[in-house]
Amino acid sequence: MKRKMYFSLSHFHITAKYSMWSFLPRYLYLQFSKAANAFFLFITILQQIPDVSPTGKYTTLLPLLIILVISGIKEIVEDYVSLLLVNALKPTALGVPWCTTCFIFLSQPQATCYVATSNLDGETNLKIRQALLETAEMQTEKQLSSLSGKIECEGPNCHFNNFIGTLYLNGKSPVPIGPDQVLLRGTQLKNTDWIFGIVVYTGFETKFMQNAVQSPLKRSKVEQVTNLQILVLFLLLLVMSLVSCVGAAFWNGKYGANTWYIGKKGNFGLNILVFIILYHNLIPISLLVTLEIVKYVQALFINWVNEDMHYRRNDVYAMARTSNLNEELGQVKYLFSDKTGTLTCNIMTFKKCTIAGIIYGDHPCLITESSEFSDPKLLENFEENHPTKEYIKEFLILLSVCHTVVPERDGNDISYQASSPDEAALVKGAKKLGFVFTVRTPYSVTIEAVSSTLCTFQGFINRKRMSVIVRTPTGRLWLYCKGADSVIYERLSEDSLFVEETLTHLESFAREGLRTLCIAYIDLTELEYQQWLMMYKEACTVVQDRAQCLEHCYDTIEKKFLLLGATAIEDRLQARVPETIANLLKANIRIWLLTGDKEETAVNIAYSCKLLSGQMPRIQLNANSLEATQQVIDQNCQDLGTLLGKENDLALIIDGKTLKHALHFEVKKNFLNLALSCRTVLCCRLSPLQKAEIVDLVKNHVRAITLAIGDGANDVGMIQTAHVGVGISGNEGMLATNNSDYAIAQFSYLEKLLLVHGAWNYFRVTKCVLYCFYKNVVLYVIELWFAFVNGFSGQILFERWCISLYNVIFTSLPTITLGIFEQCCSQESLLRYPQLYTISQTGDIFNIKVLWIQCINALVHSFILFWLPTKMLEHDTVLQGGYTIDHLFLGNFIYTVRSSIVSMIFFFLQFSHLAVWGSIMVWLVFFTVYSFFWPTIPISPEMTGQAWMVLVCPYFWLDFFLVPIVCLIQNVIWKSNTCRRTLLEVVREMESSRGQELDRSGDPLCFALSGGYAFSQAEQAVVSQEELIRSYDTSKSKTRRTFFPAFSESSFE
Amino acid sequence: MKRKFQNSQSRLPDNTAVKQQQLPAYRLQLSAKEILSGFFATGVFCLGIGIILLLSAKSIKEIEINYTEKCANCAKLRENAANFDRECTCSIPFYLSEAMRGNVYMYYKLYGFYQNLYRYILSRSNSQLVGTDIKDVTNCSPFKNSPDGTPIAPCGAIANSIFNDTIVLSYNLNLSIHIKVPMLRSGITWWTDKYIKFQNPGSHNLSSAFAGTTKPLYWPKPAYELDEEDPGNNGFINDDFIVWMRTAAFPTFKKLYRRLHRIQHFTEGLPAGSYSFLFLDFPVSRFQGEKSVVLSTLTWSGGSSLFLGLAYVVTGAVTWLAFFSMMAIHLRLKERKVFFLQ
Repeated sequence: MKRKMYFSLSHFHITAKYSMWSFLPRYLYLQFSKAANAFFLFITILQQIPDVSPTGKYTTLLPLLIILVISGIKEIVEDYVSLLLVNALKPTALGVPWCTTCFIFLSQPQATCYVATSNLDGETNLKIRQALLETAEMQTEKQLSSLSGKIECEGPNCHFNNFIGTLYLNGKSPVPIGPDQVLLRGTQLKNTDWIFGIVVYTGFETKFMQNAVQSPLKRSKVEQVTNLQILVLFLLLLVMSLVSCVGAAFWNGKYGANTWYIGKKGNFGLNILVFIILYHNLIPISLLVTLEIVKYVQALFINWVNEDMHYRRNDVYAMARTSNLNEELGQVKYLFSDKTGTLTCNIMTFKKCTIAGIIYGDHPCLITESSEFSDPKLLENFEENHPTKEYIKEFLILLSVCHTVVPERDGNDISYQASSPDEAALVKGAKKLGFVFTVRTPYSVTIEAVSSTLCTFQGFINRKRMSVIVRTPTGRLWLYCKGADSVIYERLSEDSLFVEETLTHLESFAREGLRTLCIAYIDLTELEYQQWLMMYKEACTVVQDRAQCLEHCYDTIEKKFLLLGATAIEDRLQARVPETIANLLKANIRIWLLTGDKEETAVNIAYSCKLLSGQMPRIQLNANSLEATQQVIDQNCQDLGTLLGKENDLALIIDGKTLKHALHFEVKKNFLNLALSCRTVLCCRLSPLQKAEIVDLVKNHVRAITLAIGDGANDVGMIQTAHVGVGISGNEGMLATNNSDYAIAQFSYLEKLLLVHGAWNYFRVTKCVLYCFYKNVVLYVIELWFAFVNGFSGQILFERWCISLYNVIFTSLPTITLGIFEQCCSQESLLRYPQLYTISQTGDIFNIKVLWIQCINALVHSFILFWLPTKMLEHDTVLQGGYTIDHLFLGNFIYTVRSSIVSMIFFFLQFSHLAVWGSIMVWLVFFTVYSFFWPTIPISPEMTGQAWMVLVCPYFWLDFFLVPIVCLIQNVIWKSNTCRRTLLEVVREMESSRGQELDRSGDPLCFALSGGYAFSQAEQAVVSQEELIRSYDTSKSKTRRTFFPAFSESSFE
Repeated sequence: MKRKFQNSQSRLPDNTAVKQQQLPAYRLQLSAKEILSGFFATGVFCLGIGIILLLSAKSIKEIEINYTEKCANCAKLRENAANFDRECTCSIPFYLSEAMRGNVYMYYKLYGFYQNLYRYILSRSNSQLVGTDIKDVTNCSPFKNSPDGTPIAPCGAIANSIFNDTIVLSYNLNLSIHIKVPMLRSGITWWTDKYIKFQNPGSHNLSSAFAGTTKPLYWPKPAYELDEEDPGNNGFINDDFIVWMRTAAFPTFKKLYRRLHRIQHFTEGLPAGSYSFLFLDFPVSRFQGEKSVVLSTLTWSGGSSLFLGLAYVVTGAVTWLAFFSMMAIHLRLKERKVFFLQ
């Protein structure tokens, strides 16, 4: 069971949606489960009833078939592309040491291994997993094959931190198995070459998959509104049919006796079917497929986008994994962001330090993007007997001694394995400055310093500080301590120097969002040490409250610190994160930071990415019980008073434990109110499920679009829960990406994705939908007007194929053009004025009301479109030669004029020569050709000669110009309302003039201090960091298993 | 980091304007000046066209004579089946105070005849009318076959209800001399109808071509005997028949009946003077609505209706009204607008 064996590719099991054989039935089922398609199928069936259809038998079938074929082609293409993508991914996945199954750790040379769990909980530090003692010695395949027995363990569940099981080895007593022996799916093996293990859960049984939220079918808000409106149109259709039936009844009563020439009459029941067929085109048959095509192309645009969204380092492009939610990107109001790997690169670099009141690494020209600490001044001062030389030396020794890093010699090179990236950064920093940490044995460390080799030690780690007691080769005793400024400062001796200077420097570090650690030491005397050691040994043997005793014991020696200085570590943000966040905030997007990491780290990052600012008052929620939580939330709500519910410049910080209570049924509402009243919300120490819960809370209680962005497996839940899920791709895990709707390589690309693509897509899709409704209502309500002059008989005004092909041929071009090329304004403007985003965000340009206005507008237009020509032609001879006209002449006349108005409306949507003139030309050419079909091609004899007669008729051309003027004059007046100009119009005007710029009122970005510190230790781990470092003896051969009891007499080398 | 996408080469965006979404876009950018001048120009255009249309419509001479009442006697006479063959003429004199110059067209106009009913319009057989299959009466319900089962030619409700009054216009030069105004019964159909859509079944002898079919129920004589004077005007290509078959859009409609043959006295059109209409035949008069006969000239744009001209004038006026009120608002807000924009 070597490592390769459990690298199954199970999480790339995205199989194709269709197979060769299942395609047709599955596809048809999918299509006809859409209400609109089912409706058209129903109409097609109705049309087969003899004598009922005024439009012939196949006029609905053909467009329906066209549409099914088009979307079928689209499905096949998409399926094929996704299959290609999966195939492309497979080979590359092999190189990454990912656990895809849960398994029990059996053995490894050191019997321990590191795992990175950032994918599960977002924590940056590595966790330690320990092999079972009983199996730890089995390090060859032969030994393992001799192993036999059984494992009993709990059933699959979703708790990452729990595991209960028992290993029954034949002939041995049962061994308990706990979470420390389990490597979960989604974790990543670090600093360990190989391990042996037994698989316990696979696939959906893994805890990771158990945590996965059922991937929901996401539908966009626009789509919902559209579906609702289709329903409304259906009702309108029924109403129109009923009105027509009643009209028919009246007409028959009045004139029925006189219609001897007709021979027979219809009945009411039959009539209603006739009218439903007559008006059924009111429902835009092509809307769904048009939207599908448009969105597909929009998704291609996201995939194709220019280099702005191409992450060169990894050669990763943005990828739209679904095209359903394109317009949703333009409406995001709440952004839930993960921290690790999303905002940050998860790379720590030692950037600056202050030693004895002198700041190093602050040289402006030296601070470049990726530069690590490099300040020649430090070494200069050290080598040239600067007054602070001794301090520098102590400082660097401390950095190289006081940590839990394990060195690994690889030839001449030393690499460091650290559970905390901060520590590795510091040790590396010290190494670079000449203090190379080389060997660790349980009770000693060796460093190759400039002059000497140092030894140790007694170390202890506490939540916010770490201390070691070191005996140098010369026999002096030191206590070195590093920790958070708050902890160190309260323990400083009165004699300590540089207190003020260091504080100032700490503030300046914090302002930059750097993670700081204070460095202090105590010069111990032998006596003090021996006294303390005795006390310590006593404390270690106490049975009750041992932890407390130890704590007390530490406190007795950790006092009277002398301050040396401080370090500043940069948790590197991804490129352009603060700018992106600033722009998103300007676009009125609320950003919530949800992280599994510690509060301090989260706050720190929030500072460095400008999510928090110094003046911003913070509300901190930390409570242990439901009552306390309820109380503190109520209290805060009361304090806010009338400001509650408004947007305040406040930051809310809450941790996972409190959140558990805050999400309780009774507290939920107040908590949400409080959170919504704050500009920034930080949630720390969240489990993946909590992340999903909080997204769900906002999603369900606020009528706004939510977006979740994350990179790790712990973000999958919230990515799936949010309206729109965005995955950061290109990092090692593909889980977030595979569950996301959109994948981008960098957080900063979100700006373009939302502000440009989102806004564009929103405008495109909504205009497309509005236009579809408009064009259908405008044309088919004319049939109702015509019913008023033909005695509600159900006669169609237009030629039947012209009706049925209207949507799929004559108007498809402008609709698709609109959906693909419409730009509310240029990309530059959208990025420059993020405020423009609020137009799409509020959704004011597309809702039921707007749709109704559009429908009424179409109704008015259709009224004009029908009655104007009717009144013109009614009592007049319009053709040269005195020829008289027929009903179809009127129909074609109106239909052709319609092509002008339906195109002219484009002046208000988005002008495009192709769409406007194209659609008119397509109709005219079709019209002309179609008029010559009969009798050569046996279709539509009634069209014979129509084109010629219509196009030479002077009245036609007069009407052709008059109707658009009459129809559009009101729209122009509406539009040209010069006193109310929106920002969009101002920006557009600027764009067309390319003149002066809008003055951008940028707030001067202010920050104040915060006490950020870097200390990422595992807190609840069963194997503590301290125990672990004691288990390492890098001076000895690697395969030897060393596991010493926790403490014994110090040994000096 | 390895490449995630093996096919990334193909994913490199081509730098085409389409893919980069940088197509030049024109947006309707309405500045106040443009709108105002646009409105003004539209107003001028509409008023201009409107006035021209009104003037040209005014120049048309048209006279309509309703003969429903006056010839009611004949209609009554005919209703009795026994009087089937009896001749009945009714004559309506009228006086043309002004000459009708140019081409003069004679229409019959029916009030309240719904040629646009769904079941009426469908009831015809185009393949029969184009001469390919004389016995194809599939769509002609309920006028497919005669009671004995012989297919009707031409079948269907439209053909069955053909207008078959005979109208003769005579010019009364003086009290004793009545000149029959020469009228052309050809050239009154759409060219495509006469030469494409309607064709007689291919046979030299028309009556044998129609063998095996029967005349429509309400017709006095079969299709191949419609025009006794001109044998080429019989069968399906009879002009009157074709005109009738082009179903009117509105319940009140005019259909072209004859056009003036400009010879002898009438080379300039119809001179002023006294005329009379003679209504010769009323083969069947089941029609309950009103009938009239119309004489009219035409201009470039069409007939005598003022509607289009008025529509243009009103539109022009409204545009100008909007123009002036917007101008006023614009001037009033101009100062404020400056503030708003800055």
